[in-house]
Amino acid sequence: MLEKALKGNRAYWIWMVLLVMVIVSGLSAWGRQLEFGLGVTGMGRDISWGLYIAQFTFLVGVAASAVMVVLPYYLHNQKAFGKTVIVGEFLAVSAALMCMLFILADMGKPQRVLNVLLHPSPHSMVFWDVIVLNGYLLLNLVTGWAVLGAERKGVLPPAWTKALIYLSIPWAFSIHTVTAFLYAGMPGRHLWLTAVLAPRFLASAFAAGTALLILISFILKKSAGYDIGFEARKKLTVLAAYAGVANFFLLGAEFFTAFYSNVPAHEHSLQHLYFGLHGHAAFVPWMWTSLVVGIGSVIVLLVPLFRSRPRLLVAACIGLIASIWVDKGIGLVIGGFLPTPFEEIVGYVPTITELQVTFGIWAIGLLVLTALLKVVVDVKNG
Amino acid sequence: MNQQRREFLRKAGFAALAGLGAAAGLNPLHALEKTDTSVFPRKPVEGKVRWGMLIDTRNCPEGCTKCSAACHFEHNVPDFSGTKNEVKWIWKSPYEKAFPTSGMQFKSDELEKLEVPTLCNHCAEPPCAKACPTEATFKRWDGIVSMDYHRCIGCRFCMAACPYGSRSFNWQDPRPGIEIFSASYPTRERGVVEKCNFCSERLVKGMLPACVEACPGKAITFGNLNDPASDIRALLAREETMQRKPELGTLPSVFYII
Amino acid sequence: MRKNILMSAWIALALLLAVGIFMQQESGAGTEPSATASGKSESTSCVYPKEFMKSHHMQVLDEWRHDSVREGDRIHVTPDGREFEKSLNTCLDCHSRNKMFCFMCHQYANVKPTCWNCHLSPMEVTK
Repeated sequence: MLEKALKGNRAYWIWMVLLVMVIVSGLSAWGRQLEFGLGVTGMGRDISWGLYIAQFTFLVGVAASAVMVVLPYYLHNQKAFGKTVIVGEFLAVSAALMCMLFILADMGKPQRVLNVLLHPSPHSMVFWDVIVLNGYLLLNLVTGWAVLGAERKGVLPPAWTKALIYLSIPWAFSIHTVTAFLYAGMPGRHLWLTAVLAPRFLASAFAAGTALLILISFILKKSAGYDIGFEARKKLTVLAAYAGVANFFLLGAEFFTAFYSNVPAHEHSLQHLYFGLHGHAAFVPWMWTSLVVGIGSVIVLLVPLFRSRPRLLVAACIGLIASIWVDKGIGLVIGGFLPTPFEEIVGYVPTITELQVTFGIWAIGLLVLTALLKVVVDVKNG
Repeated sequence: MNQQRREFLRKAGFAALAGLGAAAGLNPLHALEKTDTSVFPRKPVEGKVRWGMLIDTRNCPEGCTKCSAACHFEHNVPDFSGTKNEVKWIWKSPYEKAFPTSGMQFKSDELEKLEVPTLCNHCAEPPCAKACPTEATFKRWDGIVSMDYHRCIGCRFCMAACPYGSRSFNWQDPRPGIEIFSASYPTRERGVVEKCNFCSERLVKGMLPACVEACPGKAITFGNLNDPASDIRALLAREETMQRKPELGTLPSVFYII
Repeated sequence: MRKNILMSAWIALALLLAVGIFMQQESGAGTEPSATASGKSESTSCVYPKEFMKSHHMQVLDEWRHDSVREGDRIHVTPDGREFEKSLNTCLDCHSRNKMFCFMCHQYANVKPTCWNCHLSPMEVTK
């Protein structure tokens, strides 16, 4: 089937060559980083994770959100999702792949990555994350590929695919729960030390991931004439809207506990992000833009009058994705380090090298996604 | 000095080795000296020793950084200007930054300008060791939270997990940042995390940690917290002491008298 | 190669476990593990036969490192009862007459071990 990805029109190849160029630039930047060390990034002793781990966290959510189409289709027989399921599964594959590449890019000694498996440490959440992420990638790739292959031959998919698909549903929840547990178990980081982190991760993931799926559906319709259907898109819109509502509700709950309790440790991180602390307010415009754009997008998705207009729908999806990307990446991951254990506020600005590597990994993900979706479109369109 | 070391050995639970204390005195500046295996305890017994440190800030001279200089020389800790790529094992921090959860209102003038040495707490419940995906950082048989630089993958999870900011990452090759090399401890490579090791390389030779020896005010007491007869336990029983962020349940092995 | 290291690591682990159980029984009987007074390791022959060391010194060093860093088991006892500290310095010390001892062979075999990225090499130590 893969040969279908090797045939395409001019636009397809221009897009692919463009991605390869970004990948090459990313690889050269990664080479520089390997040569000098992670000092070429903006990270430092106090903010020791940056853009890479932020992307990782956001993308685990995108990967998990495949469950938003897999679950209704396979468990509740929602036939409307017939043409969307495979798109969701392959989006999960490319997102999970990017997650792993971002982890690799963030490692000081990537050549030792196998140590995680050679010295398995069940007490570490990273160990579980490696297992669930790899497992999830395989589950989606294998089931998606097998079901698509069966469809091409005009036969029913083999019975084992059903079992794996059912397994992939709780597995999707597990990947983002474990990712939240990476953060939520750390005693000294109060922005992360909260029981609603895992639920909030899931809610924001289902909002942003589903919104991304809607955007991809528009792109597929426009560029390849592959339409997932009006019904499917409408259902996705509602799912994204309610996931978005849940996300902002949980954020509100965080605000209440932090500010009503008035416990300094709980308060300081949120205060720093949204109002500034000790005169440092670099995050404030980002966070408020994210909040306003996010809530605005959710309203558009909720109100039928607004969401029925394709342009407004696309804008709302972009808005919701951007809002959650800022909130989860910049706010949660980088903001989680501030104030430092010494109650200090330090700065973080990603370097060009760091951005190049980041774009490179995104390009790898998009390349894989484009190739996989090309196969999907060719098979489904006959 | 030899007398002091012998005393330390006896108190530290190396009773069997006390007679060999003198033989244990190896010059730390020469790494390639003949080894005397007789000074080492055989297989360590888990939990028999829990090394701990008590810093009496009343005897810690203002503006003095000899502990940190001695430690950083001994362990080849690089000196890079600026805080971003900084590596440090022991350093002085203002009181309200080291103890941010203690009472802050109406501080005495003394506390206002007090700076205390801060370092790895060698927690009995180390969150860093729990977070490490390869057990490159682990709690040793003697309570020291140790680093295995050969195994560290540089994921920096331990840095996020440490509530005391005690860990440093090698954002670049450390060697250009080292002015004079000490032969008593290896340098590190770029890409791994490091921190205070309670001078485990000196302890094994029956010597006190470098910071303890370097302190002109003799402000640092080092010893076995699991031995009720040790100096440190006597001091803990006698004085009012503090730990950093005790509310986090990490059970630090470093105590302070303010 | 990796398999070999793994294999030897497992064997070392099994041995350690065996030793550990043995030691535990001993301490259970009320005896403290005590240091022997054998003194300095003046020795003219290596910890293992020369041929074995030629092919396996990296595994020996890896095991030694594991034992002393992670287990606190710092003493290597040869079959004929000689004792050595499990340390790279033990090797460097014994072979200190030839500063090029490591380099000659590595250069000839064109291998680039990473030891000297951290450990001070005999070329860097002034005595």
